[in-house]
Amino acid sequence: MFAVRLFVCMLAGIVCVAQAARADSTADLVAKNLAARGGAEKLAAIASIEFTGKIVYPGDFELTYKETRSRKDGKALLESSIQGLTLVQGYDGNVGWRINPFEGRRDAERMSADETRALADDATIDGPLLAAKAKGGAISDAGREDFQGTNAYKLRVVDNSGVQYMYYLDPDTYLEIKIVETRRIRGAPQVTLTEYGDYELVNGVYFPFEIASGAPDSSAAQRQQLTIEIARANIPLSDAIFMLPTAPTAK
Amino acid sequence: MRMTSIATYLFSIACLFITLPAAGAATLDSGAVSGLGIRNIGSAAMSGRIAAIAGRREKDGKVTLFVGAASGGVWKSTDGATSFTPVFDKQSVQSIGAIALDPTHPDTVWVGTGESWTRNSVSVGDGIYKSTDGGENWTNMGLPNSERIARIVVSPQDGNIVYACVPGKLWSDSAERGLYRTTDGGAHWSLVLKGANLSTGCSAVALDPVHPNVLFAGLWDFRRQGWTFRSGGSGPAAPSGSAMYRSGNGGTTWKKLTAATNAGLPNGPWGRVEIEVAPSKPDRVYAFIENTRSALYASDDGGKTWDERDRSQRMVWRPFYFSRLVIDPTNAQRLFKMNLRMIVSDDGGHSFADSSGGSHGDWHDIWIDPTNSKYIVGGDDGGLWLSYDGGTKWWKGANLPISQFYHVSVDNKDPYQVYGGLQDNSSWVGDSAYPGGITNGRWENLYGGDGFWSFPSPKDPNVVFTEAQGGTIGRVNRQTLEARNIQPQPGYGEKLRWNWNTPIALSPNEPGTMYIGSQFLFRTRNAGNTWDRISPDLTTNDPEKQKQEESGGITVDNSAAETHTTIYSISESPKNGRVIWAGTDDGNIQLTRNGGTSWLNVGSKIADVPKARWISWVQASRFAAGTAYVTVDRHTFGDIGSYVERTTDFGKTWTALVTPQTAGVRGYAHVIKEDTINSNLLFLGTEFGLYISVDAGQSWAAFKPDNFPSVAVRDMVVQERDGDLVIATHGRGIWIVDDLSPLRSLSAQAPAAAVTALASRPVQQRIQSNGGWSEGDAAFSGENPPDGAVISYYLRSRQVIGKLTVDILDASGTVIDSIAPGKRVGINRVVWSMRTKPPQVPPAAQIAGASTQGPRVVPGMYTVRLTRLGTTTSTLPLAIGLDRRATFSLTDRRAQFAQANRVKALFARMTSLVSRIAALRTQAGAMNAKLPPSDPLHTSLAQFGERADELRKLIVATKEGGAITGEQRLREKTDDVYGAITSTEGAPTPYAVGRVDALDRELSDVEKNFATLTVTELPALNDKLKAKSLPPLTLAAVDSAAAVARGGPIQALFAGIIGTRFHGTLTPEIIVGGDGH
Repeated sequence: MFAVRLFVCMLAGIVCVAQAARADSTADLVAKNLAARGGAEKLAAIASIEFTGKIVYPGDFELTYKETRSRKDGKALLESSIQGLTLVQGYDGNVGWRINPFEGRRDAERMSADETRALADDATIDGPLLAAKAKGGAISDAGREDFQGTNAYKLRVVDNSGVQYMYYLDPDTYLEIKIVETRRIRGAPQVTLTEYGDYELVNGVYFPFEIASGAPDSSAAQRQQLTIEIARANIPLSDAIFMLPTAPTAK
Repeated sequence: MRMTSIATYLFSIACLFITLPAAGAATLDSGAVSGLGIRNIGSAAMSGRIAAIAGRREKDGKVTLFVGAASGGVWKSTDGATSFTPVFDKQSVQSIGAIALDPTHPDTVWVGTGESWTRNSVSVGDGIYKSTDGGENWTNMGLPNSERIARIVVSPQDGNIVYACVPGKLWSDSAERGLYRTTDGGAHWSLVLKGANLSTGCSAVALDPVHPNVLFAGLWDFRRQGWTFRSGGSGPAAPSGSAMYRSGNGGTTWKKLTAATNAGLPNGPWGRVEIEVAPSKPDRVYAFIENTRSALYASDDGGKTWDERDRSQRMVWRPFYFSRLVIDPTNAQRLFKMNLRMIVSDDGGHSFADSSGGSHGDWHDIWIDPTNSKYIVGGDDGGLWLSYDGGTKWWKGANLPISQFYHVSVDNKDPYQVYGGLQDNSSWVGDSAYPGGITNGRWENLYGGDGFWSFPSPKDPNVVFTEAQGGTIGRVNRQTLEARNIQPQPGYGEKLRWNWNTPIALSPNEPGTMYIGSQFLFRTRNAGNTWDRISPDLTTNDPEKQKQEESGGITVDNSAAETHTTIYSISESPKNGRVIWAGTDDGNIQLTRNGGTSWLNVGSKIADVPKARWISWVQASRFAAGTAYVTVDRHTFGDIGSYVERTTDFGKTWTALVTPQTAGVRGYAHVIKEDTINSNLLFLGTEFGLYISVDAGQSWAAFKPDNFPSVAVRDMVVQERDGDLVIATHGRGIWIVDDLSPLRSLSAQAPAAAVTALASRPVQQRIQSNGGWSEGDAAFSGENPPDGAVISYYLRSRQVIGKLTVDILDASGTVIDSIAPGKRVGINRVVWSMRTKPPQVPPAAQIAGASTQGPRVVPGMYTVRLTRLGTTTSTLPLAIGLDRRATFSLTDRRAQFAQANRVKALFARMTSLVSRIAALRTQAGAMNAKLPPSDPLHTSLAQFGERADELRKLIVATKEGGAITGEQRLREKTDDVYGAITSTEGAPTPYAVGRVDALDRELSDVEKNFATLTVTELPALNDKLKAKSLPPLTLAAVDSAAAVARGGPIQALFAGIIGTRFHGTLTPEIIVGGDGH
């Protein structure tokens, strides 16, 4: 097993630490996670990123997928397509919006404040842990817990708006393999479990290329599965693509 | 069975027996086997006992509830019981005794584990837990040996001050019982009030909300043995440690309240004591005191003096099981008493009226909304109940699958049905799969009472043998629902001793032969019309354990739940019908090798387990006549360790497979089963879950899928045809592990390769079907088996970095689909839809609903290819066959597939045509932008574009705006016929084929018109453009072959866009589901 881990670590070019009995402090874990991602410098050098691949909804419905994130104002654009129709969700740093064309409308509608916040949080380049750290959110050690046979480190992250993320860090790579997010939507708590895997380097920074999410007690078949096939960093972007369209999208 | 199916079957069976090579030192542990997965089919129709409820009206008006199941964990609702989430599933026990919300910290929740409604089947806890994030995460805060906790009270002024009322160990002496207090949020606990003996613990604690240093506590002397129990002393007049106390300094010192010191209280000895302080009038204190004149008592001076109030039947009945008093938070005169039927008083306890309405009965707790006392949430033996009129009428909560099964069996229907009996909730039969989900309505009640064993008759599918408590076996006609009692009767002057959970067993050798055991073993060969007594008394027949008429302590209680010295387990050898094993609740293991003519107690040969024991299960091996397994349960003697033994020589010698020291196994053992194919594969059910051995019991791994809690596993059965493991839990209903094939192919050592494909059972393309209907958010629906081909593989380590792909190849080696992989260490399972890409449909105003998914592939041979880090590491053939229920042939399916592909070709032509039209329109528009409107060419270009668009409007619907336009053009018409062809199985109808022919012609007409446009008008138009030095309109660069997503069922699109990657609230119109297999 150790040889396998060593090989993976060498292949990945990241620092792996043998699973030791000693406890890591919260700060250590945060630092190791940042180092595992590629380090602060390389992460900061990514101003924008574009992922393309496919997304599979529960019930096994696959669409093509494209996600664009900009570090500037945390802008995001998510596009899921089939039959030439594209579900679009956008955030321009202030306003969240969507276009759902599947029932015949191509004009954009505004998201609620809760939905906008969720979209914005979901699409940060750094991820909630490092974003919360940068903005003074609360991060604390939550011990260790077995997750599917992996004795993961847990970090509780609470951002400044009160959203909680329970991070599960892989003890070999210190990359997150699971996050349980608790936020309030229309006043009611909404808990989402997300699993991460198949990390790939993009401009020297690791991003997960397999992301599965759903309710905490959902089975694999009940989760949404995102598979990234291509990622490009620092692509030229126009701010306009993130803005609420004023006219229906083209036919 | 067709030849193809036979070949498929044989191939897959061959795969099963390829035991994978051993490797490295890694062994199969919990993480490795748990990826096999498990699904819960419920049900919440019957639900199960609820022990404790806590609630709060939030500032925004919503109601938060925490519901503690007797043996099914903690469930949280943030919407007033419309929906629930299990929030305690990761913890090591599931028996709940108490829940308390911190009044000063809304996110702090306390849970005391171990139920205090201490009936014979009650489970155990392991301490007190605290969550500081509303139940998302929990920490065990101590009291690990408390075993059960009756109440928790948090100071309304300081959340660090908490009192835990610990009745303590039920089956043994213990000093770790009484009232505990922490003043530092649970970091440290002090025993501030303890009983006079080692069987007296705490039954009640109540706090004055205005003066929280004023406390009342009840002490309770209680003990169970397997054959009796006592609440109070051993009889009505026997000494008892039960008492009531008051503290005025937060529990530091206590004053005992007695008849001598406090006027109005009854003389001792006492039994169970319950106390409550009225929240709206703290001087009003109520107490229920079990004694020879059990009654409700009330004090209006803070406990100094008392009055006897009600002592009606529902006030005093079964005090050990019903004692809770709940006072209306706004009205001190109004209080509820839990009992068989809940009762309510509006006059301070002088009189009571029934408040149970149409509930199940056997009430244990309620929560009254302090802002609206007409809204009440209650729990009884039948689950959760909601009242909006102050407790007169009740809605049944239909969303808590906390059912407490004792046993389970299956039939051979397709899909098979599941049978089982439940604690206080009768015996039921339900579906293992149903289109749309296994809703509560898919379960049917069969009998009545407490339910235990239920078996479908192997000779008559209309007959079920089922059972209520004390061996009350019935033969139920599933058509007429007639139930005939067929319980063997005692002879002259005789008493038959039937266990609460009396064993019934079917012969595996003779369909129609059945056994039932009292102290004697009975056999019928005619469905219970007659019985043969085929054994002498097989128990110790110890008269000291047959005094149930004296059971109960102060209040006699002889319900058959303590009947002892009985047969408790029966198993006939599948290898030899004359070899029959019987285990008893007093430790005997009896064996006959001649069909009952003579018996030998071979249990005495087990030397490494103390004699004080129940033989909770005996299982004859299906592989060798002399081999049998037993589980031994000593929890009724205070030992919750696991014991499993095996003999291979008809009981002459025994080998311990599990002892309390066995790594990884927890909890007293209930059941052990062999796999039906692999003799090395064993399944063990204990009070704390399921354990698996792949090496004949040498090592064990806890089976802990993400969604499966540490719940008691009381029975299991392998459905032989499908190879599913069906599990009866006592607290969380029925669960199914679909297809054991991957386990059957593994040895104790984990596969060496980084990734290894594992064999699965033969794949059927199950017939597409529809069922179910919207039931709202407040109803449970059991999960169906995967709808597709299940692909299993083993990962040596978690896939964190680098790519893992799962590709499906057809017979030519072409990749036809790729599936998102599972990433966990050990067994992973993913599902392939068995569909090709959907048609490439031209874009239009709305989605073409049928064409969002491709046709299913033709049954045949395919290949699974696993590639990790860019290197192909494992492949496995994947044989796909027809649904075994199919009335159509493979030829029919090929015809369907061909016709579907023909329609796909039509769509492709449409898409190409629309792309070309769009290209010309776009170019014409671009040219026009360069010309002044007055230019004649501007008009020509515009007219050309319009004529092209008129053709487009013949192909696709174009009215937008979201309304139901009903607009049908070629695309939409073709979508209809595509759906007609692909949504059902078998060959397409002639009229569907004729419809495709017609649409083909209609499309050809449009194509001709487009050709005419491009041949007759486009050259002239290009000449004019050329004259103005503008580029011509051209079709040269048109490419309509865009990437096509695999799509899926349209219902899943609308349901699925609600999720983390869709930040919205679109309402799913149709519940996604299917009877996949």
